Amino acid sequence: MDLSKKVFVLGIDGAPETLLAEYVEQGVMPNLKNILSGGYDLVQMDASIPDVSSTSWASFMTGVNPGEHGIYGFMELLPNTYRLTFPNYASVKAPALWDIIGGTSGIKASTLADKFKGRVPNNLRSIVINMPETFPAPALNGVLTSGFVCPDLKKGTYPESAYEYLRSINYIMDIEASNASDKPDAFFDEALLALNKRAEAFLHFMDNERWDLFIGVVTETDRLHHFFFDAARDKTHKYHERFVFFYTRMDDIIGRVFERFMASTNGRGLFMTMSDHGFAPIRKEVYLNRLFVEKGLLTLDPAREYFEQIGAGSKAFVMDPGRIYINFEGRYPGGAVSARDRSSVVNEIKSILIDLKDSDGNAVINRVYDGTELYSGDESARSPDLVAVGNDGFDIKGNIKKPQAFGTSHFRGMHTRHDAHCVMPSGTAPLGRLHIENIASIILERFI
Amino acid sequence: MDHLTALENKSIFIIREAYFRFRNIAMLWSVGKDSTTLLWLVRKAFFGEVPFPIIHIDTTYKFPEMYRFRDEYAKKWGLNLIVGRNEGQVEAGMGPGKGTKLDCCNELKTNALKQIIEKNGFKALLLGIRRDEHGIRAKERVFSPRDENFKWDYENQPAELWDQYKSTAAEDNHFRVHPILHMTELDIWKYMKREKIPLTELYLSKNGKRYRSIGCAPCCSPIESTASNVDEIIAELESTHTSERAGRAQDKEDAYTMQKLRSLGYM
Repeated sequence: MDLSKKVFVLGIDGAPETLLAEYVEQGVMPNLKNILSGGYDLVQMDASIPDVSSTSWASFMTGVNPGEHGIYGFMELLPNTYRLTFPNYASVKAPALWDIIGGTSGIKASTLADKFKGRVPNNLRSIVINMPETFPAPALNGVLTSGFVCPDLKKGTYPESAYEYLRSINYIMDIEASNASDKPDAFFDEALLALNKRAEAFLHFMDNERWDLFIGVVTETDRLHHFFFDAARDKTHKYHERFVFFYTRMDDIIGRVFERFMASTNGRGLFMTMSDHGFAPIRKEVYLNRLFVEKGLLTLDPAREYFEQIGAGSKAFVMDPGRIYINFEGRYPGGAVSARDRSSVVNEIKSILIDLKDSDGNAVINRVYDGTELYSGDESARSPDLVAVGNDGFDIKGNIKKPQAFGTSHFRGMHTRHDAHCVMPSGTAPLGRLHIENIASIILERFI
Repeated sequence: MDHLTALENKSIFIIREAYFRFRNIAMLWSVGKDSTTLLWLVRKAFFGEVPFPIIHIDTTYKFPEMYRFRDEYAKKWGLNLIVGRNEGQVEAGMGPGKGTKLDCCNELKTNALKQIIEKNGFKALLLGIRRDEHGIRAKERVFSPRDENFKWDYENQPAELWDQYKSTAAEDNHFRVHPILHMTELDIWKYMKREKIPLTELYLSKNGKRYRSIGCAPCCSPIESTASNVDEIIAELESTHTSERAGRAQDKEDAYTMQKLRSLGYM
């Protein structure tokens, strides 16, 4: 057996390249430092647009853009309504890595799958632990347990024997994020416990299953960052030590799985760590729907809920994180914009957003992308019309209930698009800037 | 003794035991098949006279067929019916479209019930839940203590061996008593058939669909079925592998998802 044709990917949700580099430098992460000095690079990587976990992980697992895989966020509106729905794995339209190498693509197709068709085997086994946006668990060639959002571990795990195992170790699907503000110590305790359970599951499946591709994801980093990212670098912060300790544990796990993987492949397997987006401290939350109301683009009926509040005559609205949808006739029940007015509405929105400043005069929006430039594929018809990406510190929100356009809350960290990371063997990265959609190709190349 | 009679005897024993031990009790009647069966057993236990109030929690979103059925049989069986409604929230417009479905259930069901218990000082409530309904219910006890917040501490429950039920609890607690916990969905239908227990027509197939489990109209979906009488339902259940509450599962998953997303600042 060719031991070089084995791939281990450790996903660390929301771990920024810049922070990892600092922690390596400061000695917080000695195992990662060791790995980096042994022929691996820590590379900064771009996340998907929007830089939300569901979209970014879908881009990672399918290696294609949202226009092909169809996941633009954690929520969508049902066709021809303003009613919310929550996309899950059934909404992922492109085959995932484990489908491409496991012969389980079924009717799913993608540009990536076409590119590797006939070039990679179709009988390889994958182990996928805690991968976001994979609920309900598909019947794959291997083992999978779904990550965020997974409402039911049993339905989120394939096959059932894996579920029985996870249950036997009191595996934690997701920690209780609502504890972060009123019971921070309990929150940190549970995050560490969940991290340990993930590691326990990784090691168990590494040793007890046959596999070619292993993807293990840790999501607790993202939770910690959302509530305590201000503690990451501030040594006077009450929770700085606990935050850093969490990364020390994370580093132990990186070291353990790396060592075990390398021992089992005589040092020839492909090892990577990666994140789905970066993080930055929040200065202000920015509620674009409120801004749109103030600018006369949107009217809301407060007697209704969520997006059903959108009033007749509205021109546009925003869903998390910065997805802007034009209220087109024929697309929504209260649609008020005709297709030929698209460019004037787009220009109006762009000029409002580009001029947007906070009370201190700082520019809020980094760039407004047009969906037609960003996305291509069968699913691009459902894409947002525009996506606003904020400058670091300005967390763009789709909340529809806020009374002001700017605010603060108990959240301390926001996702960033430009500061995801990837640790990979030197010379593996393609030329130019690394993008999360590139990783799947790098993995598949290994199996040729 | 046949199987159904054995089940019936056990249920009647529990009902009488609960009344004897607590005296100030009530029964929750959702108008669904299980609690209607329970109500039937209660009537049998006390020879047709129900000696305690029957509570119907009215979210105002029930099917019209359910309201009709409730009023018809409350009258026919001479029930002391308490209709519980969280008036404050109903007036404020709470509903499945406002807030999350979890919020809606919390306000219109749980808090409505809390208000009634507080007002009447009930020490125990009879409920028609069954062990095979849902994984978590397999952990239930026949006499199941709840604290003042309705919290069920399923990791700290009395053992129930040889029908020895524990019925003392801390001051603020009340008991949930589950006289049909040991019955399965199929047992219920077979017993309903034997006893000719009335049921709402929602359970029977109309245009190729019927409800297998009923609650509030906006949150229930019918299943594909041609079973238009109790015999056909029994035949259908004997050959099905999907779960009873499948029509309700999506809502639960969405409610969970929404709560999770909100806790991370989405929505």
